[in-house]
Amino acid sequence: MKENDVIVIGGGFSGLMAAAVAAKRGKKVTVLSLGAGTLSIASGNVDVLGYDKNGKPVANPKAGLSSVAADHPYNKIGQKSLEEAVQFFLELTKEEGYAYKGSLDQQQWIPTAAGTLKPTCLVPMTMDTSALKNASKAYIIGFESLKDFYPHLVAKNLRNMPGYDQEYEMLMVDPKLPAGRDVTNLDIARWLDSAEGRKAFVAQLRATIKPGSVAVIAPVLGTAPSHAVRDELEQALNCKFVESVVVPPGITGHRLRIMMLNHVKKLGVKVVEHAVVTRGIVENGQCTAVVTEAIDRERTYQAKSFILASGGFYGGGLVAEPGQAIEPVFNLPIAAPTTQEDWSNFQMFSNEAQPFEKIGIAVDETMRPVDADGKVLLNNVFIAGRNLCGYDFCFEKSGNGVAMASGYKAAMSV
Amino acid sequence: MSKHHNDINPDSCTACTSCISHCPVTAATRKFRGPKMMGPALERMRLSQDDVEPSLEYCSNCKNCDMACPSGVPISTLNMKARAQYFKTRKQSMRDEMLGHGEKMGKLISALPAGAFFANLGMQVGKAFGIMNAIGISDKLPLTYAGTSFIKQFKELKQTSYPDKVVFYPGCFINYQDPQVGMDFVAVMQANKYEVIVEEDFVCCGSPLLVTGYLEECEQNAKKNTAIMKKWTDKGIPVITCCTSCGLMLKQEYQELFEIDGLAENAKMLYDATEFLVNLDEKGRLNKEFGAIEHRYMYHAPCHLRVQGYGLPALDLLEMIPGLTIENADAGCCGISGNYGFKADKYDIAMTVGAKLFETIKESGVDTAVCDCGTCRLQITHGAGVKAVHPMSLLRQAYEAKK
Ligand SMILES: Cc1cc2nc3c(=O)[nH]c(=O)nc-3n(C[C@H](O)[C@H](O)[C@H](O)COP(=O)(O)OP(=O)(O)OC[C@H]3O[C@@H](n4cnc5c(N)ncnc54)[C@H](O)[C@@H]3O)c2cc1C
Ligand code: SF4
Ligand code: SF4
Repeated sequence: MKENDVIVIGGGFSGLMAAAVAAKRGKKVTVLSLGAGTLSIASGNVDVLGYDKNGKPVANPKAGLSSVAADHPYNKIGQKSLEEAVQFFLELTKEEGYAYKGSLDQQQWIPTAAGTLKPTCLVPMTMDTSALKNASKAYIIGFESLKDFYPHLVAKNLRNMPGYDQEYEMLMVDPKLPAGRDVTNLDIARWLDSAEGRKAFVAQLRATIKPGSVAVIAPVLGTAPSHAVRDELEQALNCKFVESVVVPPGITGHRLRIMMLNHVKKLGVKVVEHAVVTRGIVENGQCTAVVTEAIDRERTYQAKSFILASGGFYGGGLVAEPGQAIEPVFNLPIAAPTTQEDWSNFQMFSNEAQPFEKIGIAVDETMRPVDADGKVLLNNVFIAGRNLCGYDFCFEKSGNGVAMASGYKAAMSV
Repeated sequence: MSKHHNDINPDSCTACTSCISHCPVTAATRKFRGPKMMGPALERMRLSQDDVEPSLEYCSNCKNCDMACPSGVPISTLNMKARAQYFKTRKQSMRDEMLGHGEKMGKLISALPAGAFFANLGMQVGKAFGIMNAIGISDKLPLTYAGTSFIKQFKELKQTSYPDKVVFYPGCFINYQDPQVGMDFVAVMQANKYEVIVEEDFVCCGSPLLVTGYLEECEQNAKKNTAIMKKWTDKGIPVITCCTSCGLMLKQEYQELFEIDGLAENAKMLYDATEFLVNLDEKGRLNKEFGAIEHRYMYHAPCHLRVQGYGLPALDLLEMIPGLTIENADAGCCGISGNYGFKADKYDIAMTVGAKLFETIKESGVDTAVCDCGTCRLQITHGAGVKAVHPMSLLRQAYEAKK
């Protein structure tokens, strides 16, 4: 039915997190969602805070919180809610049989497809590097015809990274995929989803891999949010696998999205796909309904509260127009530098965050949108995710962390 | 902000790869280069050179790419336009000729005396002589025709007249292959004090024509249907479909493909039966005198319904029936995608695409699946070995259980 306690606009990480939290609180929730979100192409780690505002690596995300700017979303969310959000998320992943690992007290530096390290906070177990750090020697597994993972680069660069200075040996697997388009990580993951793929993989490596060793591999251990593929291969080869971060499509993000969707559906959340919310119906600072627009006609969805989790410029949560950025659903004011030249920092590799990336909606402590004077604009609308102002997720590595925590806070505020 | 438009702009593509990750045919075969390459990327090339990627034939028009795209690119329609362009200078195979013109076949068979006898026999004879395989239609899927078409059965029916009226667009599948769904729909509407009008002059919506590259014929059909519908929608009488692919074609694809007067106005008044009934409920006008159906079902949401962006109203309705439990299979595309799975050289791909759904249904242990789409129902029965019914049939059964 179209009557709800909570309507969530956007089915990215922040929206699905908000939906899960609200549903767990006994609310009747519907998610209106367009597209598959950044989740399905991203790498599925939850970065909380990788670098401080000066670009210095943060060793302890919780301690690093004190260094963020006053208008940063974490300062609205608060440390307590961030901690609860982490707890909620870790429990959710356990319940779904695809546990994540990590805590706010410890930054994790995980290997990328180029053999560099990337800071993050929570990772799926398949990306847990503790076995790798304790090994004196490790394998790097590449796949013939896969261009998105560079085993030679990983082998060459990783040994220069602190904590990863062991010996690496490159091993190549040939999936012998029929000719066709370029091979991506997703193709390999699908190959390993199949029993024949796993059999061939094991057959090719059995003779070379020494029992008890560790191997770095692209995130290809199946497409599903499950450890089944990894467990089977680890058992067959008596070897531990560590998945690395790769360029899109990053299978681990795909798994995270499926897990979140599975979870919210179990909690009775209705997810309406391909629904484009175009406007809200607002009376006296109170939103009574939102309207979706399709090619045939508009449809109205009523609720007591609304969570706007529509993301950033990618996906249409924020829209860039000449001289300004707009939030198209409620037309909320966007906190942005006044001239567009200021939007991007032309020094590509500068040590400063990009002003453009910090553009977004300003909120109060309950995640409700506020104007420049801090006055609440909509009483029952709460903002979560990339559309918040005051942070550059790419620069400071905080994308999914802000999405997760703001989704949690918004859902606790409804 | 308008995400849906008929002026297709391939430049709204940001090359994010989301469509590729979600294309079920790409997942099933490496021969297909995938939606991003087929749609926006190639469209840009097509604008400059008249070159068509041969693997275009692999696209099933299932629209999962459209659903995954964050930028509202109508990828599948770009593919279908390119296919039509391809066939401008080439001739379709006899197989495509047949599959594109299922309506002709239906008319032919239902015109035969003792239709039922021939309907079932026709295919068997074809199969025995290898005719189907010879022209490239898979003989593994059952393709049978009903003895008496829906239109004929409807004419025999005595309805109670009510002031509230709806027009029913049956479509080829219901008319020639599964008329019971249409009859069940009429019964459900009667139980809700609606009189159903059926126009004999409606023609095939054009979906099978579009996917086999007969764009011009598709447009002719679009013009005919649009004019007939407009007669009623002008009077404020809604037009209802029970087939999600017909509904999608009439509401959306017509607008994406053609410029015909009245398309947008008609679309506002076009409903899938389940959405129409849910809307009745919201107005407090739905007859909820349902008798119990003590049974467990699994629901499959057709891709062509999901892409319409209004959720799964069939589940909302069926959950109102006492005793009935229904679970959403939520296992993606069934693979058939209209006539795609009937093509002999695509049969294996279609079965691979549907494998997850078949497995989900089998594992659930239900003996009956529920689905709004006729060809999906055929595919489910074929792949999962269970019966498959339209939601209208269950609603009718529930009303009758109360009497
Ligand atoms: C390639 C890539 C890799 C990344 N890797 C990481 C990583 O490893 N770790 C990390 O922490 N972060 C990463 N990030 C950042 C992180 O993914 C995002 O910051 C975060 O997920 C944002 O979540 P969101 O829910 O706010 O937005 P989104 O994921 O963008 O979701 C918003 C959703 O709302 C939908 N929507 C928008 N407007 C409407 C509307 N009007 N009606 C209905 N729906 C609408 C959109 O289509 C979209 O599905 C990465 C980002 C990218 C692009
Ligand atoms: S319509 Fe279906 S088969 Fe065709 S490109 Fe899109 S997702 Fe793939
Ligand atoms: S999903 Fe849309 S934006 Fe992304 S690559 Fe495909 S067509 Fe382009």
